[in-house]
Formats: sequence, C-alpha cells, structure tokens
Amino acid sequence: MANSKTNKVWTEIKSKYSIFLVLAVLFVICSLVNENFLSYTNLTNISRQISVVTILAFGQTILIICGMLDLSSGSVLALAGVLSVSTYINTESLVLAFLVAILASVACNILNGLMVTKFKAPPFIATLAMMTMARGAALLYTNGQNIYQIGDYIKFGQGSTFGLPTPIVYMLVILLITWYTLKHTIFGRSVYAIGGNEEAANASGISVDSIKMRAFIINGIFVGIAGVIFMSRVNGGMPNGAVGFEFHSLTAAVIGGTSFTGGIGSAIGTLAGAFIVGFLDNIMVLTRVNSYLQQIIRGAIIALAVIYDIWAKSKRTKRKLRSVEVDPKDSNILESKAK
Amino acid sequence: MKRWLSVLLAVALVMSVLVGCTKPTETTPEANEDSEPYRIAYVARAQADSFAAWLANAVKEEADKYDNIVVDIFDGQASDATQNALIENAITSKYDVIIIQPNNGEAQRPYAEKAVEAGIITITTNARIDGIEGASSVDADPYAQAMVNAVAAIEQIPQDANVVVLKGPPGNFHADARRESWQKEFFDKRPDVKIVGEEIANWNKDEAMTYMETWVQANSEIDAIIAMNDNMAAGALEVVKGDERFADILAYGVDGTAEAVLLIKEGAMTSTSLQSAYDLASKLLETSNKLLTGEETQIDIDIDCPLINSENVDEYIEMHKKAGAIR
Repeated sequence: MANSKTNKVWTEIKSKYSIFLVLAVLFVICSLVNENFLSYTNLTNISRQISVVTILAFGQTILIICGMLDLSSGSVLALAGVLSVSTYINTESLVLAFLVAILASVACNILNGLMVTKFKAPPFIATLAMMTMARGAALLYTNGQNIYQIGDYIKFGQGSTFGLPTPIVYMLVILLITWYTLKHTIFGRSVYAIGGNEEAANASGISVDSIKMRAFIINGIFVGIAGVIFMSRVNGGMPNGAVGFEFHSLTAAVIGGTSFTGGIGSAIGTLAGAFIVGFLDNIMVLTRVNSYLQQIIRGAIIALAVIYDIWAKSKRTKRKLRSVEVDPKDSNILESKAK
Repeated sequence: MKRWLSVLLAVALVMSVLVGCTKPTETTPEANEDSEPYRIAYVARAQADSFAAWLANAVKEEADKYDNIVVDIFDGQASDATQNALIENAITSKYDVIIIQPNNGEAQRPYAEKAVEAGIITITTNARIDGIEGASSVDADPYAQAMVNAVAAIEQIPQDANVVVLKGPPGNFHADARRESWQKEFFDKRPDVKIVGEEIANWNKDEAMTYMETWVQANSEIDAIIAMNDNMAAGALEVVKGDERFADILAYGVDGTAEAVLLIKEGAMTSTSLQSAYDLASKLLETSNKLLTGEETQIDIDIDCPLINSENVDEYIEMHKKAGAIR
C-alpha cells in the first residue's frame, strides 16, 4: 500500500516536473539564441501576449479534467467583449461594462451546460453549436463592423497594476483561483473524480450534472474576463476577434499535461503549456524564422505534446495495474483517480 | 427525457425548414406594381469579414435608391464550397443578375462561367475574376492602392531606414498584389531600406500587435510600419503608442477605415488609401442597372483609390461620420 502510494506520488511528480523541465530547457535555449529574449520587457510582453489565451485555457483545464471541453470560448469571448464595449460606450460605466461581459459569457455557458447535462449532448457538439451561435450573435449585434473610439475602456487591459501589466495580474489571479478550486475544494475533487470515471463518481454520490454545470459557469466567468481584456488590448470592439482562440487555449492545456481522456491536469501545468507556446512564438519572430515554417513548428510541438501525454499516461496505467497485482486488496481505483 | 428531446429536435427541424424557405434580406419589398422588379443575388465573401460586411451593407443601402431593383444578400462564410453552392442556387432561382465577391477567384471561376452560360448577367467584384467572357466587373486595383502609399513613402522614409512589414493571408489576391506593389514601387527603388521584420498577420489587429511587440524588443530603431491593410497598421501603432523611442514612426495602410482616418488625424499614422465600399456599391448598382436596361453589354471598371493623409483627412472623417462609423 505504502509502496504503491510513493510510486504514485513519484510518477505524479515526474510527470509534472517534466513539463517544467521542457519549459526550463526552452527558456535557456531561447536566451542563448537571441540576446533580446531575456530582457524584462520581452518577458512581460510574452506574459501579456499569452494572458487572454491562458485565461481561456484555465477554464478549458477545469472542463477537460471533468471530461468535457469548450469549443465556443473564442466566439463567446467576442460576443461578451462587443456587448461590454457597447455597454461602456452607452453608459460610460466601467463596472457595468465588466458585469455585462461576465453575464453574457456565463449565460452562454449555462446554455452549454444545459445542453450537456439535461440533453446529454456531447460537449464537443454542444459547444461547437454555441461557437457558431455566439459568433453569429456578435456579428448580428455589430452588423459585422468594428466598434472604435472606446475611450477609457482600454484601462482594463492596457494599464499597469502593482507594477505589472494588468492582463498579467488577471492571469495570475485566475491561476490562483483555478489552482485553489481544483486542489482544495470538494468541487475540485469531484471534477477529477468525474473525469476519471463518471459512473463511479455518480455511484459514490457526486452530483455529476451539478458539478458539470458549475464547471461551465466558472469557465463562463473566465471567458467574460478574457473578453474584456482582449477588447481593451486591441482598443476596439471586434466581433470577429479571437477567432481560433478556443484551439490555442486547448493547445496550452494539452501541452501543459491536461489529458483529453479526463481526470488529469493542473492549473500550473496549463500555465507552463501556455508559456511553452509563448516562448516558441516569440523566439521564432525574434530570430526571424520564415512564417510558413513557424506554422509547421507550432504543429509539430502540439503533436509531440499529445504523443508525450499518451505515452506518459500508458506508463502510469501500467504502473497502476502492476500495483494492483502486487496488492490485491488495494483496488480502490476511484480513490486513486480522485486524487 | 427522450420524448422531450425528440419534440425539441422535431421543432428545430420544422423551424429550420421554415427559416430555410423564407427569403433572405430583401431591400425593396415591392418596388413596382406594374412590372416585376429585377432581382439581384449578391453573393458576399463573408459577412464576418469587416470590409465584406461594410460592402454588403453599402450594396443594400444603395439598392434602396433603385425602384426597379431588389437585392438579396447571401453569405459565402469565407468558404469556397458554400459560395459555389450559393452561386448554383442563384442560377437555379433564375436571378437577373448575380454579383460575386469571390472568396478565392479561381475557385469561383467555373461557377461564374456557368452563370454567364445560363444567360444571367454576372458581375465579379473585390476582387474581380479576370478574363471571363461575357462577365463584367467592378473592383479596386490592389496594386494601385499600395502604390499611392509607396510613392509617397519614397520621399518620407529616411535614408538607411529600418522598416517592418505586415502581410495579409498568403494566396489572397489583394494581399499578394499589395505586397508586390510595395516591392516594385518602393523596396526595389530604395535598396538602402532594411526590412527588420516581416510577418503574416492575416489582416488582424491583435496578430499585428503581437508581432510588433516582439519587433520593438529586437530593434531599438524602427522607422516605418508598412502594412497591407489599416487594421494591421493600427495594431502595430497600438504597441508603440506613448513610447518615446518611436514617437516619429511612419505608418502606412490600405482601406481608409474609420480607425485609420482617426489615427491620421491624431498624427499617429502617415497615410492610407481609400477602398470605399460606398464607391464600390454605387458602381455595382449603376453597372447592374446599365446591363439590365441593355444600355451596355459588358463593363469593367475600377474605383479610384485616393491617398488619405493629414492634408485631406477631414474630408474622410466626414464620410465616416455620415455613415455612423465615427461619432
């Protein structure tokens, strides 16, 4: 029993550690390749550039661990963002504008949640439908035109808070929230349990539908905040902005070790995943890699990350099976998955 | 639950059939009681593309001025397959005129040819599909649009300058022709100028911002931003806003968007050239009318692409104010 536990902890540490090892190696290589990489401004730039996608990725992480995902986040971001910008223009209230973004995004995610829990639609299809609907709504609302002259709205995403660019502060706060929620709340443990084995979680008394709905609502809050930061950063209400961000955020989560089969993943891993992509994109531009080649490299990294994920997972499963063989009494799979 | 679901699906199915049967946006419901109005199918590239949407809206507005014409707008959704299907449908529905704003000219060419064969007046626009016998076209010339800026830049960009270049999506006719124009009209004539960064930002403001943020790290001196559209120029300028090192940076774009004219007024942007959706729309309707009434049988025209700079910017701010794009 004790042996299998140490084993598990060791595997857990190794799999988490390896992400940071990759990040650290990449960081060192980038610093050696280009002298501009290691400057304070460049590093804050990268952090600021990845902030919107990373915030989306934290929502994705919770959903993926729970065995779901959100393909609508880019479109919902755009809808929440344009509604928020236009609220600000009409009322000049930053607070109201912020609330509208969150409300709009949470509403979309409640619909996602309803489709998934009440009507048992696969999350892939449900959120794919929302992706089209939300984009359509954003375009309909603005008639396809960008909204300019947004005045003080830019304060949300362009200024500094505590000496750091504001978007980075949002990103760090949401990192903390995600980490705490996943690791230190009953909700978080239920999320892992559902992703690990939904039927077992249900049998053990977890209200699966309610947890899934809450996961979508939390995702909605994150997407709403991301919408505000995005529109503020580009200094305009852009109904066709953030196209493809759902995939960038999925990429960050998956590179960060979140497993598509559910039950595995962490907030800090996702942050590492986002930085790996951020460092790569940055160094390729700094060293002037051909822009077509950049796409190939980016794709190759995603493929490698997923292959690594599957490989690491199969190793972990084997080890788990072995530990079960060694001690037949220790067959509490649910407990081990819930952790 | 299952019964609920089946009821819901059935309702959704009926609704979609009903919606499918209704006609798309009509501009002039009943123009003339004596004679049937002419029907024009306008197949837009994508209603999600801000310029394409501006053009579609302008076409709708312009059509209101004609009593004898009704325009139906169709959304090609930036997909060749969708657009080709829409053209085929328009042929089957026997429209009098089909206006195509191609997603990718070569992919729509056979379908435009089919429309001509079916005896339907066919007009291609933004960008035109060249060399279809019997078809007409209304367009802006992307080479000229970039050239008016490039010619001005020859005088404005300092000796041995460092510049960055932001490009549109590869393979896009306007993106490629504008870049080619900058090459021939500027870079070939100014070998002293060094390109310190060149990336594809896909017409997007946020992608342009990300590239510019990285470029200003690697280069303490950037003298000019050369962008193939205004969105990307505005994105790059957003990055250097308030940065002393780049206070005198020059910036060039194309399109004449509301945002660009405001930036030119502020003194942040140097120049752009107008690709006016209003001009295109009014020429499109005028051309349609002439072809329908048999006044002419084939027309190929380009709209002007005037340079917008600090000297004449007020005139264009007025234009956008009238359209409601600037308050």
